[in-house]
Amino acid sequence: MYSIFKREFRGFFETPIGYVFMGLFLLISGFFFAYNHLFTGSAYYSTFLGSIFFIFIFAVPLLTMKLLSEERRQKTDQLLLTCPISVLDIVLGKFFAAAAVFLMTLLVTVLYAVVVGIFGDLAVAETVGAYIGFFLLGLCFISIGLLVSALTENQVTAAFFTFFSLLFVWLLNLVKQVVPSDSLSGIIFAVVAGLAIVAYLYFNTRSWLVAAAAFVILAAAIVLVALLSKGAFNGFIGNVLGWISLIDRYNSFNLGILKLDAVVYYLSFSSVFLFLTVRVIEKRRWA
Amino acid sequence: MVQVTNLSKRYGPHKAVDDVSFSVQKGEIVGFLGPNGAGKSTTMNILTGYLSSSEGDVVIDGQNILEYPEEIKARIGYLPENPPLYMDMTVKEYLRFVCEIKKVTKQDIVPRIETGLETVRIADVRNRLLKNLSKGYKQRVGLAATLMGNPDILVLDEPTSGLDPKQIIEIRDLIVRLGQEHTIILSSHILPEVSETCQRVLIMNLGKIVADGKLDDLARDLADTSELLLRVAGERSAAESALSGLAGLKRIDISDSPEPGALDVAIETEENTDLRKDVFFALSGAKLPILEMRARNTTLEEIFLHLTNVEKGAE
Repeated sequence: MYSIFKREFRGFFETPIGYVFMGLFLLISGFFFAYNHLFTGSAYYSTFLGSIFFIFIFAVPLLTMKLLSEERRQKTDQLLLTCPISVLDIVLGKFFAAAAVFLMTLLVTVLYAVVVGIFGDLAVAETVGAYIGFFLLGLCFISIGLLVSALTENQVTAAFFTFFSLLFVWLLNLVKQVVPSDSLSGIIFAVVAGLAIVAYLYFNTRSWLVAAAAFVILAAAIVLVALLSKGAFNGFIGNVLGWISLIDRYNSFNLGILKLDAVVYYLSFSSVFLFLTVRVIEKRRWA
Repeated sequence: MVQVTNLSKRYGPHKAVDDVSFSVQKGEIVGFLGPNGAGKSTTMNILTGYLSSSEGDVVIDGQNILEYPEEIKARIGYLPENPPLYMDMTVKEYLRFVCEIKKVTKQDIVPRIETGLETVRIADVRNRLLKNLSKGYKQRVGLAATLMGNPDILVLDEPTSGLDPKQIIEIRDLIVRLGQEHTIILSSHILPEVSETCQRVLIMNLGKIVADGKLDDLARDLADTSELLLRVAGERSAAESALSGLAGLKRIDISDSPEPGALDVAIETEENTDLRKDVFFALSGAKLPILEMRARNTTLEEIFLHLTNVEKGAE
């Protein structure tokens, strides 16, 4: 894993990508820091990182687009997969390399906090909390990008789809506020989601029996829940979106609170995406 | 050493490899021969653990590749059809990286790289970027990379494709040299290459192995008709009447020779019959001097075409 990490990390700085990522990140964050803190004389630094989430949407695709797609296009995956290292090692090495570049960039922005600390009152606990949360959130975004990169051979496609995936995740909590919250739309959403699961099962197993069984079980579950407890589907769409909303959980870090559930959530979110990445690569060998 | 049983690989309804079984002994150089799309590369990809088979087993020294993937991958050096090179690395960096992921111990890395560079004769380009190397050099770097893990089995997929004739000869010599210490499985669609480097050939077509054995044996087995080629001085009608009476004759083909006053005669005889003496006496009896006579042997090209065409006809 370490050799993959080393190669990948060096690769970021032997190609322009590492510099472009750092440059873009620092340019935007620097602009926002100057605008929100230097010009206005605000020492309320812990909100700073929260205000620059959208950088991820542009910067993370740069970091992750070629990590796995380029291996496939150049057929260098034939070398990696025929060497005595596991797919997990390969995926983790690449993930940590991207995470390290991100961490380095983030450490540069600590300078901003130092500036605030010299000329004003820096809320240290809140700032440290915000940094930890921001870093963990970045890991989640990187893991999404890594999965998308494993799905395609073309790094432009990978960048494009990562951009839209991250945009979707970013917009989730906005979407959450405007989706209808009445019971009927909740039931309709549950039915659509259930049908999607049935379709997914059918296309994966090609067995009508499995699909029909899943359909019956899901339909029964929806009908039972809807009949037994009247309010169960109130706000259902919003709740489901909330489960996968990364941004919502950031708010506690902002206040200097290290909430265990948020940390665990971010770490498990990344783990799930890394696991899916491994599965995608493994599955291709069997296909 | 290498034991492959009932190997199949399906891509949807299409079978790229169809029930292939073979074994390779330690120290052998075995050549996979077949037209493009015959399933050679897929077989090699399964053998090296890059792809998984749909059915069947690959067992190396008693270890199944599905159960001991890392042990087996450590023992195989694989050169795919396109050498898997990272173009933004130098030759030395690349070989070091390969050593690391092949789990070569730290103190062995530098000597291993040096030996590798010497073996394939690329020491002079060690600090060049891979993307700036010519195809022949890239191929050799790929070959050096297969040696990094000190494997006892080398799997080389079309090691000479895209090279110029001089480079082909060099790589071929190199393979023969490496064959003294390694078990080698190579593939090719070029016949002379296989006939010159390999002790044994496996001919593949449409995902199946259609022949397995020494080249000479294959040639003998396939020679179900033998042919005599003659050049005779004289008249066509005289030659025809002299030869038509011979027993064991299948077909006579007489054409005008480029040599003035002579005829080119091709005689196809039945299996295992040697008509050379009979032909001589028949023609000398008719006062037709034989200028040339030779028995035509089945060449590797003919075996190859024969096997691959027979299979297509059977479909």
